[in-house]
Amino acid sequence: MSQTESESAAVRLDGITKRFPGVVANDDIDFTVERGTIHALVGENGAGKTTLMNVIYGLYEPTEGTVFVDGQPRAFESPRDAIDVGIGMIHQHFMLVDTMTVAENVVLGNEPTKLGGLLTDERAAVEATGDLADRYGFDIDPTERIEEISVGEQQRVEILKTLYRGADILIFDEPTAVLTPQEVEALFEVFEELIAQGKTIVFITHKLGEALSVADEISVLRDGELVGTLPAESADREELARMMVGRDVLLEVERQSSEYGEVVLETTDLTVDDDRGVRAVDGVDFTVHSGEIFGLAGVDGNGQSELIEAVTGLRLPEGGRIELHGDPITDWSRRERIEAGMSYVAEDRQKRSLVMEYDLLRNGVLGSQRLPGFSDGLQIDWGYTRQYVDDVIDEYDVRPADPGAEAVSLSGGNQQKFIVGREIERDPSLLVAAQPTRGVDIGSIEFIHNRLLDLKTEETAILLISSKLEEIQQLSDRIGVMYDGEIVAVVDPDEVSEEDLGLLMAGERPSGLDVDAARVRAGGSHE
Amino acid sequence: MSDADVLPRFVRDHRRALTLVVLLLAALTIVVTVVPGGRQTVTDVSGVITASYLASAFRLTVPIAFAAIGGIFSEKAGVINIGLEGLLIIGAFTAIVTLHFLPETTAIWVIWSAFGIAVIASAFVALLFAIVCIEFKADQVIAGLAVWLIALGLAPFASIIVWENVNSPSFVTFSTVSIPILSDLPSIGRLFVATPPVFMLIVAVPLAWYVLNRTTFGKWIEASGEDPKTLDTAGVSVRKVRYAGVVLSGVFCGIGGAGLALNVGQFVGSGETMVDGRGWIGLTAYLIGNYNPVGAFLASFLFAGLDALQIQLQQIAGYDVSSTLIGIIPYVAVVVVLAFIGRTRMPSSAGEHYESDE
Repeated sequence: MSQTESESAAVRLDGITKRFPGVVANDDIDFTVERGTIHALVGENGAGKTTLMNVIYGLYEPTEGTVFVDGQPRAFESPRDAIDVGIGMIHQHFMLVDTMTVAENVVLGNEPTKLGGLLTDERAAVEATGDLADRYGFDIDPTERIEEISVGEQQRVEILKTLYRGADILIFDEPTAVLTPQEVEALFEVFEELIAQGKTIVFITHKLGEALSVADEISVLRDGELVGTLPAESADREELARMMVGRDVLLEVERQSSEYGEVVLETTDLTVDDDRGVRAVDGVDFTVHSGEIFGLAGVDGNGQSELIEAVTGLRLPEGGRIELHGDPITDWSRRERIEAGMSYVAEDRQKRSLVMEYDLLRNGVLGSQRLPGFSDGLQIDWGYTRQYVDDVIDEYDVRPADPGAEAVSLSGGNQQKFIVGREIERDPSLLVAAQPTRGVDIGSIEFIHNRLLDLKTEETAILLISSKLEEIQQLSDRIGVMYDGEIVAVVDPDEVSEEDLGLLMAGERPSGLDVDAARVRAGGSHE
Repeated sequence: MSDADVLPRFVRDHRRALTLVVLLLAALTIVVTVVPGGRQTVTDVSGVITASYLASAFRLTVPIAFAAIGGIFSEKAGVINIGLEGLLIIGAFTAIVTLHFLPETTAIWVIWSAFGIAVIASAFVALLFAIVCIEFKADQVIAGLAVWLIALGLAPFASIIVWENVNSPSFVTFSTVSIPILSDLPSIGRLFVATPPVFMLIVAVPLAWYVLNRTTFGKWIEASGEDPKTLDTAGVSVRKVRYAGVVLSGVFCGIGGAGLALNVGQFVGSGETMVDGRGWIGLTAYLIGNYNPVGAFLASFLFAGLDALQIQLQQIAGYDVSSTLIGIIPYVAVVVVLAFIGRTRMPSSAGEHYESDE
């Protein structure tokens, strides 16, 4: 406590530059976070936000420049050093061992021990975790297993973990990406509680609304450079978006409510189990018409993934029917579905949509390898494929614009643009788009959204799954809300508020909204 | 799944282990019902079946269960060690070859030195395997196969150099130890007279369970196999934990292999060597037991029990069945049990290399 009071800043970066071979991820960044404030760091993917935070957290050593913590220059060799001076990081992908309990995770690596360090003092661990949770008002049972608690609770366990290690400065890497609106609210209340107890928060996001609502100051990064730092009160969305992207961005897309055509996809009483054999989708009926975007909203893990896997043919349903253009496709293979005009932008692009070690040319033919044009029945027509891939790269502005580049060398946003292009240019009659803009930057989101809307005018039916409510609301003609394996309501995006959607997603019945189940079922499968 | 919720938590958590116990009892029922059927032709089988049958099953369990426990430590830490069979061979051979070079007395230090050196040799080979996997990022399955193949070739070869025969001559064996009082009990007293490795196993099973589930080190092992990055960011060296896990698998296999050889007093290098697939069965045993040492032990015991049974069945003249066919009973049983037990939950990151950032 006897440290110099000459500087009140909790963290100050002085001329931080981080170079990787061939890339400057951070270029001469000066940046100050005042003690007891919330500082938001916004920027597109690849702008260098995470790299910068990893420098503060000791995961990377800066090429140039110095990190000051509480006015003292620090050179961290590992996160351990950063933890020692009170810096904690809550990663986007939680650093929790699923099979272990809350308390075991909280104390991992810093276990209270007995018998000379041999045994973990479990009671002490549970008590310490419980005390911390009480102090910050978290409702968490220290003895539950991580795999048994919700994502929002897991995040709180991450926070407890850093607090247990004595963190004063907490860095959150895109903390809201996986949360429902209500959980986001709860998280921001946690932020306030932390600030009230004298902690300092840095949080990375690319959601401008969040930065504006909770942060005291907002810093914008673009292409590795700090574009500027603004106090949150005097900033507005358009200005921040322009700073992030470097040009004007249309934040709202125009959605023309078009007339739908005939039914393209219809499910009847569809029932699907998850990997563990637990019912994930329980009797779902819905239809998607040509020229319509049917959005499925829901918190991750309420059956959306299993539902689309059943529709796309990656998972065998336990019961019910799926029809495409009136043909029963319930037990068709993937190949038959692709040949019938079904395209699929998968949720996990690196696992399902790309072979990371393949170049774009070979990735471009994935899924189309038996379609006429791409193949003569015996071998792949590489000339045609090359033309196709070149067109996708060109039209969807995939960078680097090199068909020989391996998928793994592309940023997430560029991978996604490439996949969306590959799936759309095949002229599908049904596009299943799962989380099409997950982890994609604002500029690319705008582009992908516009392509989806274009596709609608080309009379394609689109089944859209997204955990981003804004996206679902902006794009969809009808929204089905999934909760616990069922479509609990089908609503009109223009008539439902984000709050009501959030409540529906959490399994509640919003009072103002009239969605009785009978009408919902009828609405879901009308015509 | 509604009935699952009704079951007490203990039953739900230990469903596999309980299933095994039931299967085990079923197996023993077979013993009791089938074997007496041959009683007319074989004199006095009744005395063989009960306690002494169990005692021999315990003895046969030793190498399998130790290999299984070793495999658990290694795989839970994130390194799949399919070289268990090889490590058992190393243990068995080293124990006997050490006896060869030691004075030929029945002094107790001789056999225990052989035992200790065998454990060290097996641990050393496991360490080499760990270095290859962790430092040089070799494919764990291939490296594990190499351990087996090298041991399978090297032990009989060295045996020829030392004894001019793939099989060694006979040496001293572990003498049995009786537990006072208990061993005097009627009928089951026979169970409390056994060689030291059997008693070591009885201690090792709960101990391994305790270490894995209750100690700090056990939690690090679990985290290292489930989510090494988390362990790393928590400031614990994944490398060290994995080394410890693999070397421990070497130690356990050393005990198992030495126990096997020193019970017989001979190293048999012909065919698949005297280890004869017990390491592979051990691997299956811990999968059946879902990485729980107790479950792995029960699975090993089931196999060993059936093995002991088939040996006895072969001696019964009343059945006109090919002995080869009877010989496969334990293996068929393992396949059937594995099919019934359903899916085992592997540690999420087992088999994957882990590299610390920068």
